[in-house]
Amino acid sequence: MVEPTDKAREEFFSEAQEIIETLSRNLLALDGSLKEGALDPSLVNEAFRAVHTLKGLAGLFGALKMGQLAHRLEDVLDDLRLGRMELSADTLDVLFRAVEVFGQILAVERRQVEDPLTSVDELIDQLSALGAGAAHRPSPAVDYELDPAMLAVLTEYEEHRLRTNIEQGLRLYRLRVQFDLATIDKALEEMKERAKRHGEIITYLPTGEATSPDAIELDLLMASRDDLATLIGSLGADNVVIEEIPRRTRASIAAGAPSLFPRGTSIVPPAPEEAASLAAEAEAERAAPAEAAGSLRSVTQTVRVDIRKLDLLMNIVGELAIVRGQLGRVTDRVRSEGQRQLAAELQRLNRSFERRLSEMQDGILEVRMVPLGQVFDRLARVVRQISRELTKEIRLVITGAETEIDKLIVEELSDPLMHMIRNAIDHGIEPSEQRKRVGKPLAGTIALNAFQKGNHVMIEIEDDGKGIDEQGLLQKAIQIGKVEAGVARELTRDEILALIFVPGLSTKGEAGDISGRGVGMDIVKTNIGKLGGVIDVHSEQGIGTKMTITLPITLAIVSALIVHVGEHTFALPLASVSEAITFDGTGVRVVDGREVMTLRGSTLPLCRLDRLLGLRDAMRSPRQRRFVVVASLGNRRLGVVVDHLVGQQDIVIKPLGKSLSSVRGFAGATELGDQRVGLVLDAGALIEEVLAGVELRREGVRAHG
Amino acid sequence: MVDLVRTREGRLARRVAERGPVREFLAFVLAGELYGVELTRIREILSPPPITIVPRASSDVIGVCSVRGLLVTVLDLRRRLDLEEAPASRRSRILLTEVESGEVLGLYVDEVRQVMRLTENEIEPANAVLGGDVSEHVLGIGRPAGVVLILLDLKSIVAG
Repeated sequence: MVEPTDKAREEFFSEAQEIIETLSRNLLALDGSLKEGALDPSLVNEAFRAVHTLKGLAGLFGALKMGQLAHRLEDVLDDLRLGRMELSADTLDVLFRAVEVFGQILAVERRQVEDPLTSVDELIDQLSALGAGAAHRPSPAVDYELDPAMLAVLTEYEEHRLRTNIEQGLRLYRLRVQFDLATIDKALEEMKERAKRHGEIITYLPTGEATSPDAIELDLLMASRDDLATLIGSLGADNVVIEEIPRRTRASIAAGAPSLFPRGTSIVPPAPEEAASLAAEAEAERAAPAEAAGSLRSVTQTVRVDIRKLDLLMNIVGELAIVRGQLGRVTDRVRSEGQRQLAAELQRLNRSFERRLSEMQDGILEVRMVPLGQVFDRLARVVRQISRELTKEIRLVITGAETEIDKLIVEELSDPLMHMIRNAIDHGIEPSEQRKRVGKPLAGTIALNAFQKGNHVMIEIEDDGKGIDEQGLLQKAIQIGKVEAGVARELTRDEILALIFVPGLSTKGEAGDISGRGVGMDIVKTNIGKLGGVIDVHSEQGIGTKMTITLPITLAIVSALIVHVGEHTFALPLASVSEAITFDGTGVRVVDGREVMTLRGSTLPLCRLDRLLGLRDAMRSPRQRRFVVVASLGNRRLGVVVDHLVGQQDIVIKPLGKSLSSVRGFAGATELGDQRVGLVLDAGALIEEVLAGVELRREGVRAHG
Repeated sequence: MVDLVRTREGRLARRVAERGPVREFLAFVLAGELYGVELTRIREILSPPPITIVPRASSDVIGVCSVRGLLVTVLDLRRRLDLEEAPASRRSRILLTEVESGEVLGLYVDEVRQVMRLTENEIEPANAVLGGDVSEHVLGIGRPAGVVLILLDLKSIVAG
């Protein structure tokens, strides 16, 4: 890496990352179209363009390995798009590998470490081996009465498209179209767009015979399945003349050139000595997309922003919110000193300030939001790869990829989701013979669904596999001492299923290569927990397993309920609060060592914060009225007992430092104004701690303390 | 001014030439004793802002506070060094230091004194003087002109 500025480097990384993601998406789409048996040529083209851009970028930043790999890859994609090589699933494997290796290169470049990156050279060799198989084929275009002037200017790619279309038995047409010079660009695009329904416009060439100085006449070469009448019906107009280009009969070849389409040398397949000029054309063709991208850039009005800058802005908004609070207090003081008019004026200003501030906050939040599709695309690649490794056929169904969530959350999601998908394929979906026996479709289905629900985003990962073996799981848990045999009988189904999140438990008899030895789900759970989310698991034996992740939409700024417990002030994010009720200590019963109360006919487990957190006992009379804040996450609820409800406030949550990383129960801290810091309760962790632990329940809830 | 700097630099240079390189330590008081930490490790000295207690944290963590928007974990240096406890006073200060993970920690001390310059031969290595049993947090003993300065190893202290 040469020494560009940090900013330029960051630009490079994010741009390269984007291109690689585009490439990955293209390859996935190619994989899909390959399976359906109808290869979409535009996908190969897009992949080619992506790699071409990446090569340029790598050159610009002196990323040598990346440049070399991109170059090789470009060659292979070029062979593919020019039909010199057939696309197969094995070829795609190698191409997908490239996406992975590009990722590795980026990681190494970013850390600026010395790494031989042997995987790059291996892949380059593989790509070269692929390229060696490519071959030129004679063009079938000689059989058509084509205008040599047009054939002479065909690029290699167009030539390939022409050949493919002819081989697929499509008919060729010539569309002679008069365009207005002023609007030709737009009109030509519209024409191409309309032609798409019937086939493909392969190339076009000006005829040089326009009827007016303001017009231009083009010959469009089009391939279509439809007959002439259909095309005239659909594309015909005053300025469009459509003719079918006839196949050359043996007679016409023998008779020599017809007057309209004189036979020329250029319809013969390219001779070796012409290869150089063709290569030059291919280069020109390659350069064109870059130019197109250049002009595109000038019209797309987007900027790339480092998320830390948005965090900074969000912090400032948070501080302004504190200023607003202080202004409010000043206003109250002015009013109490009898200056009512001044107070009213201040109040008005304060309200307007508040409104603008919340608009600004929403604006910044909106910028941070990205569609979950970003991470789903990566998962689709993983599914493909694993299903090929395990030779299990998997159908991945994605819904809700457009659901938006905070960029930071998306980044942190990809690993846990990947792990869960691996598990689903490896442990969930049965081998095909077994599926056949039980009458399931051979291909296993994994559904990845995302949707927004209030202030949360839900992600479901559902498979139609064999489900979790509850008894097996329980036996194993007893065996390794995570559950006492006596306790085991009392566990509910949900509690047994929750055992998959206990470290050291794996449901499969032996460890799979793919998902390891059951060390995964507890880490998945921890990581989701760090994002303020929870996982619920549902499973039916023989039918399948569904994991549901509930996540907050953003971590940047949240509305919180401020509460007092003794002399401590805590903030509880409103997203996880469903209601708050008064509490006089009556109606509390103890069930299985846990305090519960009845709320509108259902049982609500209680948590006394002062006891749970080991706070000094506050002086309070036993009759003192207190409050229960009902926290709910997923389908679990917990009543948190507090002394006072102070009010609602928008807060910016800052994570506690590393030195406090072992402290459980807090999502972070926040400034509450007048220089005071309040701790933000982690509702998910509290619910978890009080409700979940089979072991925790036995050992007492202070285990974390 | 220029002359002053020059003469100061000149004096320093002479000292370096005579007695080896000079290290600067910030001297502060804990339970009546004088301690020192390397000056370059200290980012800022603060009058203590309100500190919020963090339940469940280890006993030598006092809590967290905000320094111009930055969340800082404050350690009780007395407790970390197993010294007797004393109430905070008007002179109590917090030393901010950035640790390797990038986290900024606050060290609560009784009183900040001054910066002391020590040459290598004014520093006695801890194990040579105090034997092998000395606290891992002590780097050595500084003896500039009649004072005893217990030099602390910040790296070891903040590592917990």
